[in-house]
Amino acid sequence: MGTEALSLEEVSIRLGQSLILDGISLQVPAGSFTCLLGPSGCGKTTLLRAIAGFAPLSAGDITVGGRSISNLAPEARQTAMVFQSYALWPHMTVAGNLTYPLKLRGLSKVERDRRAEAILSLLGLEGYGPRAVISLSGGQRQRVALGRALIIDPPLLLLDEPLSNLDASIRRSLRGELRRLQQKVGITTIMVTHDQDEALAMADRIVLMRQGRIVQVASPEALYSAPADLEVAHFLGVDNVVDLRPGDPVAAGGALAGFRTADARVFTGEAPAGLDAVLVRAGTVTACAYAGGSYHVSIDLSDQAGNESLSGASGAALSALSSVPVAPGTRARLSVPAPMLMSFGADSRLLQGIRQ
Amino acid sequence: MWPGVLLIAPALTAIALLYALPLLRSLITAFVGEDGHPTLGNLAKALEFYGADIVYSILVALGSLALIAFVSIAIAGYLTLGQSRWAVPLLRWIYRWPLFIPFIVAGQTARSFLARNGVLNTLLTDVGLVDAATATSLLDWRGLVLTFAWKQIPFVTLLLAGAMASLDRSTIEAARNLGAGRLRCLIEIVLPQVRPQLLVALVLSLVTIMSVLSVPVMLISGNPTMMTAMMAHRVTFYGDYAVANALGLFSYLLTAVAAWAYLRMSLREKSN
Ligand SMILES: Nc1ncnc2c1ncn2[C@@H]1O[C@H](COP(=O)(O)OP(=O)(O)OP(=O)(O)O)[C@@H](O)[C@H]1O
Ligand SMILES: [Mg+2]
Repeated sequence: MGTEALSLEEVSIRLGQSLILDGISLQVPAGSFTCLLGPSGCGKTTLLRAIAGFAPLSAGDITVGGRSISNLAPEARQTAMVFQSYALWPHMTVAGNLTYPLKLRGLSKVERDRRAEAILSLLGLEGYGPRAVISLSGGQRQRVALGRALIIDPPLLLLDEPLSNLDASIRRSLRGELRRLQQKVGITTIMVTHDQDEALAMADRIVLMRQGRIVQVASPEALYSAPADLEVAHFLGVDNVVDLRPGDPVAAGGALAGFRTADARVFTGEAPAGLDAVLVRAGTVTACAYAGGSYHVSIDLSDQAGNESLSGASGAALSALSSVPVAPGTRARLSVPAPMLMSFGADSRLLQGIRQ
Repeated sequence: MWPGVLLIAPALTAIALLYALPLLRSLITAFVGEDGHPTLGNLAKALEFYGADIVYSILVALGSLALIAFVSIAIAGYLTLGQSRWAVPLLRWIYRWPLFIPFIVAGQTARSFLARNGVLNTLLTDVGLVDAATATSLLDWRGLVLTFAWKQIPFVTLLLAGAMASLDRSTIEAARNLGAGRLRCLIEIVLPQVRPQLLVALVLSLVTIMSVLSVPVMLISGNPTMMTAMMAHRVTFYGDYAVANALGLFSYLLTAVAAWAYLRMSLREKSN
């Protein structure tokens, strides 16, 4: 089956009183890998269900390869979806689950078994074919669910958190496999994930959603360095926000600055030389925890002595890395290189992203 | 131990006196001759006189069950997979009505509906499907099958639709997503998951069919007829409890075989 471009135009979905999706427009190029990212309950699953045909649109249109599929039954849409709850068929074996879609397509028994073997070894489940699915662990079930969708080489693959229950090493290897397979066959793929590393590593494009709307569509690099607003930034690991003061090394007009903990350093003694292009804040260390390779230090700015004024609502607590442990209670200073700062306006929209 | 026994003693006594004892007595009577000695004569007599009725009962029961299963699966399947905004609620509301109608009323209604000049034939003649001269009465095995089915379909559908409604809905969606139409989905995904409930409902229906007296008495004149009618006949006309009980033994056997088959199947399902 060939791969197809997908296009959503002003798609809205209303369930009961609430508007679950609100005017979603999105172009997904053929053969691309798109990740949907967003807080729980923002409508990611609903969006996939709308594409698969399980959530009737209250407005808008969905087209695949230029043809509208909005009025097609789910079975006629040629999508393959991996459900968040796996949705395996409990009355069939693992092999039965994997081969049923092939049976529906009229493939011979020999061919079905051959493909099931291939997919089982791809998923690291050799020899599990005759097992009952109810006897599998959560992660094994999740892999069977993924295999069941991949086995038909669908033109459009919809994945709802397909790797969420796997241990770190299987997840890494399946990430690679999935991406490799997707690129080889050129399946147009949309994947929901809660894991920003996963999204950054796998996606061609990331779609950030919030409360049933799309907030930002960008490449992983662009999203990482220039999130549209503070909330998106927070979602992408920008866990420190400070109020800006005169003299801080950022573009004029900014009200807030955000940075990632990994980009900030803590020092207790004299300020190192060449501090002109650095944002500095002083405070009291409240916690220090080993974070593999360095120490994760939390600093509280709110109880400041001397003439350093208190930060506003944001920035009372910051965190940074230190190469040596720092005892709680110590006075310390935190510094962030100017290029790693993102500045936001008073409306919390981005003014200036990371410069590299 | 004794306090426990004391606690269940009333229930045990009631079961023993009201169920076990009469059942045992009727079973024993089937093997006791007029002279008070044990004999197989009653069984032989029952087979000789009523062999045709036993076969007839089995065939009518199987026919009814087949029709009940087919229609119940269709209705419950439509209630589960149907998408019409008005047809599904309407069907859900209407299908249970026969549950509240007693068998004797159902029998009486069937009589006037299925007779040679009954409502059905009148309708068919009016439409032109049947010629008035050649219209036949449906008050034979067909009437029995139709009446039993009409009465039991709501019951089986009720259990089946309940079981289907509690299935994990996403298993149905996954099948449709991967290309299964609604009919295939019903047969290959939904039905296998509710098979135990379907079997229970059918076994219970079999027991009901084998014990209803009013319907065969009202619909069937002459022979062969259902075993229940013949048992009643044997008792009311001849006062012959021995042969009636021997006949009853065959009903027990039939329902016992069905129950055993069901239990075996559910045990096998549990073991794998
Ligand atoms: N059948 C329904 N009726 C009413 N509201 C619903 C229904 N299904 C989902 N919702 C609501 O729609 C919103 C979006 O749900 P959805 O499952 O798409 O979220 P999600 O982004 O996938 O979240 P998560 O990351 O937790 O899986 C939620 O607020 C949810 O409560
Ligand atoms: Mg979800």
